[in-house]
Formats: sequence, structure tokens, C-alpha cells
Amino acid sequence: MEHSLIVRLNDQVIFTSDQHWLYPLFELEDYLDQNKLIVQDLFLTDKIAGRAAACLIVRLGIKKCHIGLLSERAIPVFKGHNINFTYDTLVEHIQCRTEDLITDKMSIDDSWLFLRKRAGRVQGLSVRMEKITVRIDEKLVLGQLDLELGRGEQMVIHGANGVGKTTLLRVILGLIPISEGMIKVGDYLVGSQLWKQNRNVLGYVHQETVKNNFPISSGEVVQIGLGSLNVSKSETEYRVEVAMRRTGSFHLVNQPYLTLSGGEKQRVSLARCLCQNARVFLLDEPTTFLDQRGRDDLLLLLHELSRNEAPTMIMVSHEQKWIEKLNWPRKEMKGGKLC
Amino acid sequence: MDRETKLAAKRDERRKIVLELLSLPPILKGLIVLAIAGLTFPVTGVYLFRLNLLPLRFMLMHGAILGGALALAFQINPFWTTIAINLLLVIFMAKTSRSMNADAGQISTFFMVISISLAFIFIYKFNVPAKDTLTLLWGSLFTLSWAEVCGIGFFALVLTGFQFYFRRQLRALFFDREIAFTAGINESSLYYSVILLTAITVALAMKLIGALLLDAILLLPPIIASFQAKSLKGMILGSALWGGAFAIGGFLLSIAIDIPASSSIAALASLAFLIIYLIRKK
Repeated sequence: MEHSLIVRLNDQVIFTSDQHWLYPLFELEDYLDQNKLIVQDLFLTDKIAGRAAACLIVRLGIKKCHIGLLSERAIPVFKGHNINFTYDTLVEHIQCRTEDLITDKMSIDDSWLFLRKRAGRVQGLSVRMEKITVRIDEKLVLGQLDLELGRGEQMVIHGANGVGKTTLLRVILGLIPISEGMIKVGDYLVGSQLWKQNRNVLGYVHQETVKNNFPISSGEVVQIGLGSLNVSKSETEYRVEVAMRRTGSFHLVNQPYLTLSGGEKQRVSLARCLCQNARVFLLDEPTTFLDQRGRDDLLLLLHELSRNEAPTMIMVSHEQKWIEKLNWPRKEMKGGKLC
Repeated sequence: MDRETKLAAKRDERRKIVLELLSLPPILKGLIVLAIAGLTFPVTGVYLFRLNLLPLRFMLMHGAILGGALALAFQINPFWTTIAINLLLVIFMAKTSRSMNADAGQISTFFMVISISLAFIFIYKFNVPAKDTLTLLWGSLFTLSWAEVCGIGFFALVLTGFQFYFRRQLRALFFDREIAFTAGINESSLYYSVILLTAITVALAMKLIGALLLDAILLLPPIIASFQAKSLKGMILGSALWGGAFAIGGFLLSIAIDIPASSSIAALASLAFLIIYLIRKK
């Protein structure tokens, strides 16, 4: 077999890839997104497939495939989803670290999201904070704090009021200077010249309080995400519409922002971050001032975001019940440190 | 002659006087300048409100008085001196507020007090006549040279261009400075540009209608516009229209009934504000 992956439609080759690891399947995913094809009619031939590849093949919707070297761990996945598969050689295990990381407990969607993050095919950027110390008016707020998040990962930081949760977010945003330490967002060192030119990779959703009575429509709030970009009127309208539809808030486009409910404001703020093409979302107590319905809506929206655009998200919240429903990894802030 | 004919004759006479006065260069210059200022200067009033810079306005007003006092004391051009002093004050304020990490409001209060104290020291020590000092308070619209008229016209163009070119960034700045910052907008430069433009506007408005009445052209139009505006665009356009109407209307009224232009502009603006406010309350 000359290519790593070959896809045929009615015996005619329509797609090939010579990439390694799981990249051929991700390339195929992009190809299928761009070309409207009936995926069930396709026949896929792959050189090697383990459990991870099997999960991706299932998620793509492929029903027929032939694998050169097949891991036994892939068989339950294929069988569980009625995939018609054949193989040349069957092995107990293939030498790949990813194979061990996909557990039986993970659903196909969970595996896909996990593999996307591992393949770097997510919008999110990594966040790394090393030995961060922040003093405000001589008072130590953050002391030698470390935090590391991979691309597209999420985290909730909780803790009592006044322990420095919001300060942590504002430090990442570059709004509060650090006394010691280093913060990196992707390849950008916070505070550097390069970061100053690219700081819109960070989207900030702060507590929704009625701060002022500035007359502004929801669509105009989303437009703020475009920052200083020089885009045409039609492009601006398009990007605002896409972002607002994505968060289910497009019907509010002409409504004054002030008249929106707390939940609607959060949707518009998240749309602003999407319009900004932010790759790290920093959410500060987003449930404050939300009623139960608003909280449920936000929960759904955040789940959807983490599955699709998959930005890296750091949220500060003290609402234990809601955090539990969200089911993101958690860290508690105590004494200026995360534990 | 019956009463109606007498009134018509009086009206005709008054119209004739107004037209005659308008043919005089200082009066014509005054009208042109006031129309330009009325249509463009209220934009900075919107900035003052949105960025909560009212203490800054006081500093700039007192700075303009200091500039005027200096000009009178040393017999130099008050127009350019007040602009220079206000620009210097803004630069000092920005530097101090940045280096000391202090609140801009507190710093501007300090500069306000020091400016007015220096102004009175100069007035006292250089024996500036009291009447000349009063021109600082009610303006000297009809003493403008053509160079000053052109200067005001050029500044009005810069102000309008600034507002148009940076309209989206300004909207972000007025909505939330932190959000503007995270959206990649250089909000700090924008903020200081706004202050700088406001400084020049206040200095120019002081020359036109004086310290005591400049709010009529700077603040009342945005306040009235804010009653109805649903967007920044609406607020800017509304302010410009109200400002233009007060300036031109007030000027013509001042000629027609022979009162100072600044006072008639302020009276007209205040009356309009009161009527609109009462209608809204109903």
C-alpha cells in the first residue's frame, strides 16, 4: 500500500494521505467537512489502526474499512458500532502511547475530543504560569503560584471570596502586573511586545453587573471582539452573525445590551469572545446574576464550546453545585496558591 | 399706522440690522466659528461623560484661565497660549497619573487648584485689568483672527476624523476599558488621545463662549442626545445637531436682541434642556 490512508467511493480513489499517526483521519475529517458526500458509501483503507483510530473512524461515520495492521483493542469499537471491517494482520497491542490513553469508559465523542486536543487540532492555546507572585498595596495576593493547562483544556478555580481568584484571571490578561514569575499563553510571554500585538487571543467574560448606561446594541458589543482589525462592513456583519448564531443570541443583535437578561448578556459576551477569535476564554463568576434557566443555558453553551471550538477555558466560580454539573477539572485557591 | 403694521416694520428693521451685522467680518467670523464649534465640539462632551472625565474638564477650564492670565500678563496671543497650557497640563497629568499609579480624577483636581492659584498670582502681580480678566470667563468671540478661525476649522476636521476613524475602538473604550484592552485595542493611547482632544476643545470653547458658559456647548447637547440615543452613533449625531442648533440659534438670538452671544447660547441650551426634560418626565 503506497499511502497511509486511502478512501474510495465506488472503487474510485477520492482521498489519500501520507501523514502519520492519526493525522490522516483528521485530514479526512476536514475533507468530508468541505465535500458533501454520503459517508456510509465510502470505503476506507488504513495501514494501522488501534483503538484511537477506530474511535475516529466511527465518529467520521465510515461503515466499511480494511486495516493493514489492526490492534485487538479496536475490535470492540468497530463491533459496537456495526462497522464492516477486514484486516491483514491482527496484533494484541500497537506501540503507541495514545492507545493506552483511550479508556473503555470514554465515549466516541469524548475520545474524539481528547484526540483532537492531543493532535493540537483545537482552537485553544496552552497556558503556563510559573511561580507567579502578585502583591497589591504590599499585600501578597498570589504567592509562587503555578498553573499549567494544555491546549483546549478547561479548569475551574474555586475558593472563598477574596482569595485572589479574580486577580489570577486579571494577571493572565495582563491587567495586573506580576512581581515575580512568568506567564505564557501559547508562545506569547504575557507582557512582551509580541503578546501586546496578539493579546486578543484572550477573551474575557467578567461578572455581569450593570456598570454603566452606555447606549449600545448587543451586535455592537459583539463587534468589539474585532478590536482594531480593519474589516469591511459586510465582513463585520458576517462575523458578528456567525458568532451570535453560535451562541444562540443572533435574535438579540439589535436589542440594547442594557435591556438583556443576565443569561442573554453572557451569551452575547461569549459571542464577543468568539468574534474576537479568542483562543483562551477567561470567565469570572459567569453565573452571578443568572437565574436557574440562565445557569442551565450557560452550562450547555460551555459544553458545546468545549466540544467544537475547544478554546482553553479557565473559569473562576464559587458555585459548588453548578461546578459539579459542569464537570471540569477543579483547583481550589487557598493562601494565594492553587491546590 | 395700525399695530400690526408697526410690528411688521419693527421686524423688518431688526432683520435689516441682523443682515447688516452679519456682513461685518468679526460677526461673520463669529457665526462661522460658532457653527463649526457647535456641530463638532459636543463630541468631546460625549467623551467626558462616557469616560467620567468631569474633574478633568474642571482642570482644563482652570488651565485655560491660567493660559489667558499668562497671555494677558505677558501680552501674548491668548488663543494659542490657552491651548499650549492645556496640552501641558494633560501631559503632566498623564505622566503623574502613570508614574504614581494615581487616580486621574485626584491628579486633575490638584492641577485645577494649582492652575487657578497661578492664574490669580499672574493677574495680581502683572496688574491685569479686571475687565480683561472677565473676558476669560465669558469669551471673546469677535476678536478672532482669520488664522484662529482656520485653526478652529482645522481642529474641528481633526476631531471629526478621529471620531469617524476610531468609532469602533471608541465604542469599545466607552463600553468597558478592560474589554477593549483584551480585544487588542490600544485603549491607553486612545484614552490619552481623547483627553488631548478634549483639552484643545475646552481651550477653544473658552475662547468662544468663556469658562462659565462652555458647558452649554460641551455638555448640554450630549445630555439631551442621551435621552433618546440607542447607540454611540445616535449620541454623537444627536449631540452635534443639538450643539449646532444652540450655537447658531443662540448667536442669531444674541444679535437680534442684543445680548452677549455666550449668554444667549447658554440660555437657549438650558431652556431646550428644561423643556425636553419636562416632556420626558411627562
